[in-house]
Amino acid sequence: MQDFKKVGKKIGKNLLFCVILIILFAEVSKILENASMKNDNLVQSRNKSIFRILREPEHTIDVIALGDSLSYSSISPMELWDRYGITSYVCAQSGQKIQETYHMLETALETQSPKLVILETNAMFRGNPGLASMKESIEEWGNHYIPIFRNHDIWKSFIIDKQYPEENYKGFAFRCAVQPYEKGEYMQKTEQKEKLPDVVITYMEKIEKLCRDNGAELLLLGTPSPVNYSYQRHNSIQEYADEKSLAYLDLNLKLEEVGIDWKTDALDEGDHLNLSGAQKVTRYLGKYLKEQYELADHREEDFNIAWKKEMEEYRQKAEKHLKEMFKK
Amino acid sequence: MDSLMNILTELDSSVAWEKEEALIDDRILDSFGVISLVAELEDSFSIEIEAAEMIPENFNSVEAMRKMIVKLQEK
Amino acid sequence: MGYHTSLYLFVFLPIALLAYQFTPKKMRWLTLVLSGYVFFWMISGKLVIYLIGTTIWTHYIGIWLANLKMQCKIHTIGKEKQEIEITQKQYRKKERLVLASGILLILSVLAYLKYYNFFVRNVNVLLDTADSPILLQAKTLLLPIGISFYTLQAIGYMADVYWEKISAQQHLGKIALFLGFFPQIMEGPISMYSQVTESLWEGQGITGENLSQGTVRVLWGLFKKMIIADRLYVFVSAIFNYYENYSGVIIIAAAVGYTVQLYMEFSGCMDIIIGSGKMFGVTLPENFRQPFVSRNAAEFWRRWHITLGTWFKTYIFYPVSVSKIVKKWNRFGRKKLGKYVAKVGVSAIALFPVWLCNGLWHGPRWSYIFYGMYYFVILLGGIMLEPVKDKWIKICHINEEALYYKIPQILKTWVIIFIGELFFRANGLRAGWQMFKSIFQSFEFQKLWDGTFLTFGLDKADLIVIFAGCIVVAIVGMIKERNLLGELGIKRLWLPIRWAIYYGLILTIVIFGAYGNGYQQVDMIYAGF
Repeated sequence: MQDFKKVGKKIGKNLLFCVILIILFAEVSKILENASMKNDNLVQSRNKSIFRILREPEHTIDVIALGDSLSYSSISPMELWDRYGITSYVCAQSGQKIQETYHMLETALETQSPKLVILETNAMFRGNPGLASMKESIEEWGNHYIPIFRNHDIWKSFIIDKQYPEENYKGFAFRCAVQPYEKGEYMQKTEQKEKLPDVVITYMEKIEKLCRDNGAELLLLGTPSPVNYSYQRHNSIQEYADEKSLAYLDLNLKLEEVGIDWKTDALDEGDHLNLSGAQKVTRYLGKYLKEQYELADHREEDFNIAWKKEMEEYRQKAEKHLKEMFKK
Repeated sequence: MDSLMNILTELDSSVAWEKEEALIDDRILDSFGVISLVAELEDSFSIEIEAAEMIPENFNSVEAMRKMIVKLQEK
Repeated sequence: MGYHTSLYLFVFLPIALLAYQFTPKKMRWLTLVLSGYVFFWMISGKLVIYLIGTTIWTHYIGIWLANLKMQCKIHTIGKEKQEIEITQKQYRKKERLVLASGILLILSVLAYLKYYNFFVRNVNVLLDTADSPILLQAKTLLLPIGISFYTLQAIGYMADVYWEKISAQQHLGKIALFLGFFPQIMEGPISMYSQVTESLWEGQGITGENLSQGTVRVLWGLFKKMIIADRLYVFVSAIFNYYENYSGVIIIAAAVGYTVQLYMEFSGCMDIIIGSGKMFGVTLPENFRQPFVSRNAAEFWRRWHITLGTWFKTYIFYPVSVSKIVKKWNRFGRKKLGKYVAKVGVSAIALFPVWLCNGLWHGPRWSYIFYGMYYFVILLGGIMLEPVKDKWIKICHINEEALYYKIPQILKTWVIIFIGELFFRANGLRAGWQMFKSIFQSFEFQKLWDGTFLTFGLDKADLIVIFAGCIVVAIVGMIKERNLLGELGIKRLWLPIRWAIYYGLILTIVIFGAYGNGYQQVDMIYAGF
């Protein structure tokens, strides 16, 4: 009996230690999250979308775009709104891992109920083999559910006033350099395929399920990028989309319809699009979305004042940038 | 066995050899000291100290050294 | 899968602990061996056969030696003294042969995998200068993780059996445990068979006590590695990789920075390893003991990478210094040349192979060999100057324990260490020499405060954290050195204070650790040796 008491006391002590630790983690996480929510400049560029999407008024965003830098350089939510009244948000991160894509969608779904989720397909080829991706999965899980891990570096802002200010329109970034792509046709028709990494297949299933459970449709979108796309990649995504009956739009095969001119629309020799390219892609995409999905026109609704204001700012800046880009 | 004390005193007269129990572990005898000591012991006691004997336990105290010498002499 | 990664700390280690605990006591050793092989396989894949091969070979040699010893005893029973001596000599010879072939085989595997290409490169240089049309072909050789560590352990075991310090182990499983305990595989500590194997074999259950002690040790290691070492890595590589651009005080900062990085990283990983061992109820040998309070280079090596130093002392230094030839020389020297010359001579003969091996062991690079020779010269110099020093101390009535003497001694040792690590880290011997020379060209003291230091990838906040972290480590080191908390250690403190320290440690690592966005996870340095 004595022993039993002793053991019980010991377990109780350890339990107490853990409980206090969990409370500490939760509290510190909360403090850091609040600081990040309040001041966007404290958040590093890669993580900005995580907090920005949470700051949007609840249930106002109809389209969420996920993916890596290709998505925030080619999809401009302000233009979608301006032309079609579609409310969208680009939740992209440079080099977004598929695990991050999934957790980003989880975050977005906390406050939004989108009708459509667009996934830029370049992220589907980013996956390390075996152990490395397992490690990433654990770390991204931790980052999402124990935010202290993701936001820990904020202390620097408190000590030396380190800040990361950045202009950003619903996740879209103005990228205004022009470095033409000159290597010609890159979508050579073939039957070959590039295998999707295992981790991508695992997480794609989770993403699809998340969309299904939240009543959102999923669209796979390939935006024009000679550096990142090939027919091999197209084939494997097409196969995947067919297998899962997902919609798949590969703009790399529709360059003419989109109107891409590699002399003017390339940011860095065919890796990303610049503002001019983004406008073309967004226009085409908007038309496509309007035709294929039932997306309401929100231009006349209550929350539109904020959008209108932001649109004004966006339009002025975009015009200025475009003028500068093509001065010569 | 008095010659053992003689050798040790000659090596370093400031150490109270009989009292120390951890000559090696406390680094009163360093590895170079041990080597000199080994040469002296071999000559005085006509024994052969091989690598197998080169363990701290054999040199930590005068008593241990005596035991080792006796053991090697019997061999 | 380094010991500081989430994969090890949150997946592998917990699973191994659970598997261990749920295995019946008698079979726990098997769980440990299997976890070791899985761990090895996760890093080096099929190369795990090298470890298994070495294990079987080591076991076999041990038994062979034991059999010879047994036969020798049987053959000498009831014989005349003279006859006994002859038989013993014969068997001695046989044993020596077995031991030599045992060591030779695993050593040649190590030499081939690790040094073949180095050999080829250098021979080719010679061939090239001799205008030879034939050059040797380099090969892509994959090095199994930890081979430099388990090879030394295996050799130590064979020698111990030969010397009869231990009896040969009949059970293959124990040798497998000894060479393949997963926390030790990647970078030591290099332990002796008698130190760890029995407690590994025992399979005692996991206790809350061991678990919490181990966890604290692991956290302390993470503190050193993630807060200090991984930050300094950025700074140090920025300078060492572009050393041509820097001189003077910057090079000194790089040398000091690397020394601190290496210490925090290596001793930090050791803390994680020893902590992991503790969780299984195993006490692994310590590898560091406050090296930066050493008063000379010799003491430094007794406090830094202790298990490697001990290994070299046990299996190279002593065997060489009591070998027949050296003894002969010693006797001759003492008679004809005096004790001083004999001592210096023997020391030189016994130290040279130790430091050559120390350099080579770190890897096939001339700068490592130089590093070994550097310490050889310094240690030998220390022995040579000892009489002069002793006299001087007597004449000047210096109190060796007084701070005015101790502190300059410690600082002198620091300079020796920093220069050594400068060459150790430099990208090649030539680069090391260039860097060393450039210390004396354009010193530019003002660079310490004119903002130059903020151009190496660290901002002011990083530098502050590194500095504060070092102070914490120094304070903890001081407490340990002075033994201020006694045997009980941190357990002596009142529980709420202890818990506060633990929480503080955890939160400090989580918040100030150099991980995640904007940082790079840095591989363990010694795992590469």
